[in-house]
Amino acid sequence: MKTMKTKSIVIALSLYAGVTVAQKLKGSDTVLPLAQKEAESYMKANKSAKITVTGGGSGVGISALLDGTTDIAMSSRKIKMTEKIKLSDAGKSTKETIIAQDALAVVVNPANKVTQLTREQLEDIFTGKVKNWKEVGGDDLTIVVYSRESSSGTYEFFKEHVMKNKNYASSVLSMPATGSIIQSIGQTKGAIGYVGFAYVEKEVRALKVSFDKGKNFVAPSMVTAKGKSYPIIRPLYYYYLSSVEKNVKPFVDYCISAEGQKIVEQVGYIPLSK
Amino acid sequence: MNPFFKKFSEKFIEGLLMISGTVTSLTVVLIVFFLFKEGISVFNKKAVEEGYVIAVNKSNKVNSISPEDIKNIFDQKITSWKDLGGKDSIILFRLEDISTYFTDEQIGENFERLPACISRVVDSIPQIFAFFPEKYMDKNFKGKEIEAGKISFNTFFGGKEWFPTAQPAAQLGAKPLILGTLWVSLGAILLALPLGLAAAIYMSEIAKDKVRRVMKPLIELLAGIPSVVYGFFGLVVIVPAIQKLFNLPVGETGLAGSIILGIMALPTIITISEDAMRNTPRSMKEASLALGASKWQTICRVVIPHSISGITAAAILGIGRAIGETMAVLMVTGNAAVIPHSILEPMRTIPATIAAELGEAPNGGVHYKALFALGCILFVMTLVINLTVEFITGSKKYKKH
Amino acid sequence: MKQVDENKLAKSKKRKQSLAFFMFGFIGFVIVGILLTVLSFIVFKGVSVISWDFITKMPEEGMTRGGIYPAIIGTLCLVGGSMIFAFPIGVMAAIYMNEYVRDGIIKKIIKQMTNNLSGIPSIVFGLFGMALFVNKLGFGDSILAGSLTLGLLALPVVIRTTEEALKGVDDTFRHASLGLGATKWQTTRRVVLPIAFPNIITGLILSVGRVSGETAPILFTVAAYFLPKLPTSIFDQAMALPYHLYVISTSGTNIEESRPIAYGTALVLIIIVLLTNILANFLRKYFGKKVKMN
Repeated sequence: MKTMKTKSIVIALSLYAGVTVAQKLKGSDTVLPLAQKEAESYMKANKSAKITVTGGGSGVGISALLDGTTDIAMSSRKIKMTEKIKLSDAGKSTKETIIAQDALAVVVNPANKVTQLTREQLEDIFTGKVKNWKEVGGDDLTIVVYSRESSSGTYEFFKEHVMKNKNYASSVLSMPATGSIIQSIGQTKGAIGYVGFAYVEKEVRALKVSFDKGKNFVAPSMVTAKGKSYPIIRPLYYYYLSSVEKNVKPFVDYCISAEGQKIVEQVGYIPLSK
Repeated sequence: MNPFFKKFSEKFIEGLLMISGTVTSLTVVLIVFFLFKEGISVFNKKAVEEGYVIAVNKSNKVNSISPEDIKNIFDQKITSWKDLGGKDSIILFRLEDISTYFTDEQIGENFERLPACISRVVDSIPQIFAFFPEKYMDKNFKGKEIEAGKISFNTFFGGKEWFPTAQPAAQLGAKPLILGTLWVSLGAILLALPLGLAAAIYMSEIAKDKVRRVMKPLIELLAGIPSVVYGFFGLVVIVPAIQKLFNLPVGETGLAGSIILGIMALPTIITISEDAMRNTPRSMKEASLALGASKWQTICRVVIPHSISGITAAAILGIGRAIGETMAVLMVTGNAAVIPHSILEPMRTIPATIAAELGEAPNGGVHYKALFALGCILFVMTLVINLTVEFITGSKKYKKH
Repeated sequence: MKQVDENKLAKSKKRKQSLAFFMFGFIGFVIVGILLTVLSFIVFKGVSVISWDFITKMPEEGMTRGGIYPAIIGTLCLVGGSMIFAFPIGVMAAIYMNEYVRDGIIKKIIKQMTNNLSGIPSIVFGLFGMALFVNKLGFGDSILAGSLTLGLLALPVVIRTTEEALKGVDDTFRHASLGLGATKWQTTRRVVLPIAFPNIITGLILSVGRVSGETAPILFTVAAYFLPKLPTSIFDQAMALPYHLYVISTSGTNIEESRPIAYGTALVLIIIVLLTNILANFLRKYFGKKVKMN
């Protein structure tokens, strides 16, 4: 099995030997559009580069790193302790690079009267303690909670960061994609959910949130996210093995260069502050 | 031609055909093997995440704890050892919390002093409930490791909660998923089968040739619409319609899934059963009509019995398409893992669960295996449906003779 | 019992029958109507995107501009690859079951297994393909692994429809041929297959339709999100239309801008199916005529 794989790799390498630096990126669907665009413009400048981008999820990316089937793992969450242990057991050490930031906006139907919530209220809503909008200052309307699938890094980040590691209520509706969350919230009056800041459109309205028990409420925007006053913000990562650093470094460096960060803003994520 | 060679080539071809005939059986056997090998191994696994331990202070009286209680403790629904037969409130400790007790220097660059640190924390706080990797358990650990039981047949099939990523103990109750799958696909087939058969009868026996010639390729073409498109169409058109029609808080319901799946199964059901009906020899139909039977009687007594195996195939393929359809259902049923009480509630199906979670489940872990176990359940479900349909049509054939 | 006028009975029977027939026709048209709604929904939204550039260019600007050329090529490779595998084996299996094996336990087992295979959900095929072709046999994420997985998925459809087609051939033809001294294979090849061929094509269409639209089986066996160049061997990864559609309608931050591309992709997928249909219908008619002439 291994020999066959190596054989095909050897053939591929010998075909492009000398001219091509082939690289594979695999992992988080959140990072996917960003990485694709970075790869596209990087290849425009470096004609010899050949970069393949594949999705699947942060977990898929990191386990591919372990199997050696990818050069760079894209991840929307920090590498887990278990994954780190597995890698170090296999005698591999990884390097981590933060390539951008992503802000999560809490969104509701535009007809909803509620404009702001505290972290504690959000926790109660997503764990199912609060079930009606009137309990948080809105109309007498059942709260319908939308979440991403439990497999997504977004789900875990929200759980860790906003819900302080408590589990979601089992009645939460989980959607496979951010697009369908927006669509559903746009057509359901009592709906609430969370999406990447870049996705906020007319169909939904973003809430102001407070992480200091209601003293300051902050609306999500490029400015508040860059200035770190907006609290629900997470980094996006590339992970790669230290042993292949020489190969992947030029591309990773391009991503965090000024040019690469311009693309970050174009795609709708928050560029790294200097 | 040499008669020997002729005989040989005849045998050779028969052998080749036989091998092709066994390919499907072989595939099924292989699938069963792979599926069940992974799936069955989920049972008797420890409920606590592999490679992790949970431990308490030595003075604590609690010796064992159920996975459900563990989840409730971490959700802070249980906050006191009193609820579990001990005393005092619970203090949670995760590996990440180590930095609040010790500095990076004390732990060491490569975590070499981490086991000793953990041991010290657990030993010094009587109310502690600690959760950390087995690897970092000190040789002379001063706390008490406690058992959380194993995943059994009962907890898997009878459990009401599906939280596969809950830490430290995953909640693997497949009951809501099994029920959700059954509700959605039975609803779909109840909608699609009568409609599909009616349309097939119309096309093969009643409609004029001209109409048929337009209708048939059109329906065949529609089998090619990708499921993501149906899913998106369902989300934009059917979900809001159901919400308005039944005045519900949410439109993402089992019914929406059933309707979409029903529509998706229609082309398969219609084309195959229509082909079967058209293959009824004309002589049989004409004989029936000549004997004074009406067209309706001819359809019921001659055409349908003759084509019953084709209709069976249509039904099975249709159900197969409905029960296993993933992407469309994922987008319209809401995917809430609760036990459904009516078709107007959000539901989560097994295929949707596998598709959504497999990418992220660590290869070989409990969650990964649990998803394979779900695959086994799905397989058994389709098997039961196939056998039932076969049995029904088989007994009908008997009556005919 | 009351005596009923025979004439009256016949009349009410007739009325009932025509009512039932009307209902059937009505249902038939409603179904076509529903399906047409879905179709026109895509055509309406996708038609403005379709252009020569769209189908012959690589994706640009983070999938919001440019074309879907590599995805089209990828899907054609996968459909072709899976049919090369499934069509001959499926047809041969059906011939074996219908022409060679007598009714009995073996036939029953094979039939049952085929039915079971057709009931297996596509996502399970994906799991299986990943476990066997990608990992165990070491093909990696490749066109080969994806084609084989899709081929297995299409196999029962080909078998069932071919069987139906073979069953439709009147036994008198077989008896006549065998009576004239032809062997079983000669009878099958020269007499049964040509008559059944037009209907066998239906199986091919159905399976092409099914295979070209599947996302779940290729998710873990072949699909790539972005490739800078076209695949050059069967061991390469490929982009594919259904996966492309799935991924640009679910991820990507610029939904508004990538949505037209999503509709365009869906439309191209349907056009591919439409072209196969037209071709198949042409073949069906062509061979149908040939049979009649003989």
